[in-house]
Amino acid sequence: MQWLKSAIRACIEWLESILDRVCGPTLNPLNQLGALGWFQFWLIAVSGIYLFIFFDTGVTQAYSSIESISRDQWWAGGILRSIHRYASDGLVLVAFLHMLREFAMDRMRGARWFAWVTGLVLIGFIYVCGITGYWMVWDQLAQYVALSTSRWLDALPIFAEPISRNFLSNAELSGRFFTLMVYLHIAAPLLMLLFMWVHIQRYNYALVNPALKLMIGTGAGFLLLSLVSPALSQAPANLDQIAATVGLDWFYLAFYPLMDRIGAVGLWWLVLAVFAVLLVLPWLPRLRESPAAVVHLDHCNGCSRCFDDCPFGAITMNPRSDGAAFSAEAVVDADLCVRCGICVGACPTATPFRRATALVPGIELPAFNLEALRDRVETVARTLTGESRILVFKCPHGAAVTPPVDTSVGVIEVPCTGMVPPPFIDFVVSRRLADGVMLAGCREGDCYERLGVRWTEQRIGGERDPYLRDRVSRDRVAVSWAGPGQGADRGQALAGFASALIRPPGGTQPGATAEQRAAWRQVPTRPSAPVRYAALGVMVCVSILLLGFFSHRPTVRLRADTAAIVTLSFSHAGRNRQECQRFSPEEMARLQPNMRRIGGDCPRGRWPVYVELELDGRVVYAGTRQPAGLWKDGPSTLFARFQVPAGAQRARVSLRDSGRDNGFDASATADLDLAPGQNLVVEFKQPGGFTFK
Amino acid sequence: MTYIEWRPSFATGIPDVDHEHQEMIEWINRTLAACGQAGGARDAVTDLLGEIYARISAHFALEEHVMKSRRYDQFAEHKRDHERLLDEIRDMMDEHESGGQVIEERLASRLAPWFSEHFRLQDARFHSAGL
Repeated sequence: MQWLKSAIRACIEWLESILDRVCGPTLNPLNQLGALGWFQFWLIAVSGIYLFIFFDTGVTQAYSSIESISRDQWWAGGILRSIHRYASDGLVLVAFLHMLREFAMDRMRGARWFAWVTGLVLIGFIYVCGITGYWMVWDQLAQYVALSTSRWLDALPIFAEPISRNFLSNAELSGRFFTLMVYLHIAAPLLMLLFMWVHIQRYNYALVNPALKLMIGTGAGFLLLSLVSPALSQAPANLDQIAATVGLDWFYLAFYPLMDRIGAVGLWWLVLAVFAVLLVLPWLPRLRESPAAVVHLDHCNGCSRCFDDCPFGAITMNPRSDGAAFSAEAVVDADLCVRCGICVGACPTATPFRRATALVPGIELPAFNLEALRDRVETVARTLTGESRILVFKCPHGAAVTPPVDTSVGVIEVPCTGMVPPPFIDFVVSRRLADGVMLAGCREGDCYERLGVRWTEQRIGGERDPYLRDRVSRDRVAVSWAGPGQGADRGQALAGFASALIRPPGGTQPGATAEQRAAWRQVPTRPSAPVRYAALGVMVCVSILLLGFFSHRPTVRLRADTAAIVTLSFSHAGRNRQECQRFSPEEMARLQPNMRRIGGDCPRGRWPVYVELELDGRVVYAGTRQPAGLWKDGPSTLFARFQVPAGAQRARVSLRDSGRDNGFDASATADLDLAPGQNLVVEFKQPGGFTFK
Repeated sequence: MTYIEWRPSFATGIPDVDHEHQEMIEWINRTLAACGQAGGARDAVTDLLGEIYARISAHFALEEHVMKSRRYDQFAEHKRDHERLLDEIRDMMDEHESGGQVIEERLASRLAPWFSEHFRLQDARFHSAGL
């Protein structure tokens, strides 16, 4: 598991650093996959509402209304239909990338299991939406989807009648089925939206809108794709025929060719197994955590800053419980706390200057208390020598601090840079414990604890409480946001910061020029605009090609070119195992008057139905179908399809439903001349016997 | 030595805030007293100033929270005033740290009046605005 995680993580980080250089952290799509999912959901919803206005339910109306949308008003309905499809494909892509990334970055254990598990539910919803959507079009693909989905569901032993029997032939197909599909295709996204909301419930300031430019770019990409390769229906569905091949949307329907290989039951086991593994993943292994943040009521006046800053909604402000004259107090929910310490960084009492009483802030991490942090700062600072002594507060999730780590650089690891209270920076700089302070955290836009980087930037920038005081020269404070794969950037930033700090002899201010001082802030350096735009263009083209191609290619072969299909199906109740026993007059007399109407004892159990199909003397199917129902008193059902060579042949079908040992209760023969692709339905009904249609 | 005295006119009517104001006056007076002691009180003053700084920071945080939640219209102004005072205290701390002996004077001449003014005008206006 660990090596898998690391391998995926390395790939993602490599991709991320490239995108960081091309788009910059704020526009890097990998930093906002979830938000991109939301955006695509809205695109799908809006285009779907428009399509719904023109969609007709009905066996032939469904297809023709969609054809009309795509052709008569290609400039509106057609484009929106394409956007509806491609954004749906994009949603699958983004959802899986999102999931893969949270897995690889190890962001689904501990308190974060909740988003992981609700995310899995969302993936289920995405598939329900997609499959019902493809079904509604009622083209060749829809036919494949309908039959495959029915077959898959029929493998569950819960239906008295196979759903597949709804799709026996054109003549028996009911228009009501499309009403049901429309209903499902609207209900599922609504429920999905509810779960999307639940999915982000535990996150404060959850990002649900990607950056504006990214939204515009994504939308434009879909529009371009819609014009280049509009989403069109395949040939209309015809249940009396089976097409040789069908173009497949691999984002949604890849399971169906797989089912053709491993069978419906096999697919159920596979899906259940994968789902079960994913479900328990947050606890494999269980995250071993230090104790959650604790509130020291003696030092908490209920100012709510920790509540405002907690990225995981682990803090609530409750009425005061200790009788102090304040109205509120912070309360930590240990089950939601991820031990990032961002609350400590927000607490106004977390200042290292306080000495008259112990350095106990209103809220802190027991395993990482502030007094120990101050001691560590002072201890490490004492070991520093040279002209540019730098104290680095480093989080464990970002890049390592590589050279120049010597006696001029001291590193103190904190759970998150957001945990460092700004007064600590003031403390280090004003007491000359070091010449400069560097806050070294995760890649910008992708803080492991979600908001540590953002709050740190805002606190230093004087935009968010607690401010880093203006009196602290910003020339002495550096930030370095770099992921584990960006160690070189970090080294460069550190070296640049160090050289900017070197003072001229006798001077007290950093001696470098403004440009030199600012140089380290430009790390990582980004390529020139033309290179960036070219790279961006390649990126967009690759995404478009990916979506445009796999949304209907490669095709799947459903039968051999020269083959025809024989469907053998019935829903027929075998005979009762026992005749009714009429009660004798004495037995009748013993019964209560209201029970005498029955007049006898009729056991409900039925015989199973045995059926055999031969083509030119070759047995194609022979099997016993058990009666449905807990008491084995329902009909026996069958829906089975066989590929047979086209051409003239003699069919013989026989059935036994009476429990006799040999011989048949009904049989029929027919001389068939099957055309390639023809779907011949052999059905048994009572009364009427076998029919060949 | 002029100590600050709590006066009923300082009262804002909000128990949280009044409670902390009183506490803070106590800490300032303790610091003034420590300053008054001859010789060895240097470290004590450093510690007390650090303590005052932490407590005032927390107090302002609470006050700003109350103001924001009540949509106090002069929040920005009031907040600036808070920051100014915090800067002033930090200056004093640094000055004291670097060996200056002006601390007592400064506390008495700047901080104390600032405090009583701030309480009397700013906070009182905020709270009497009936928000």
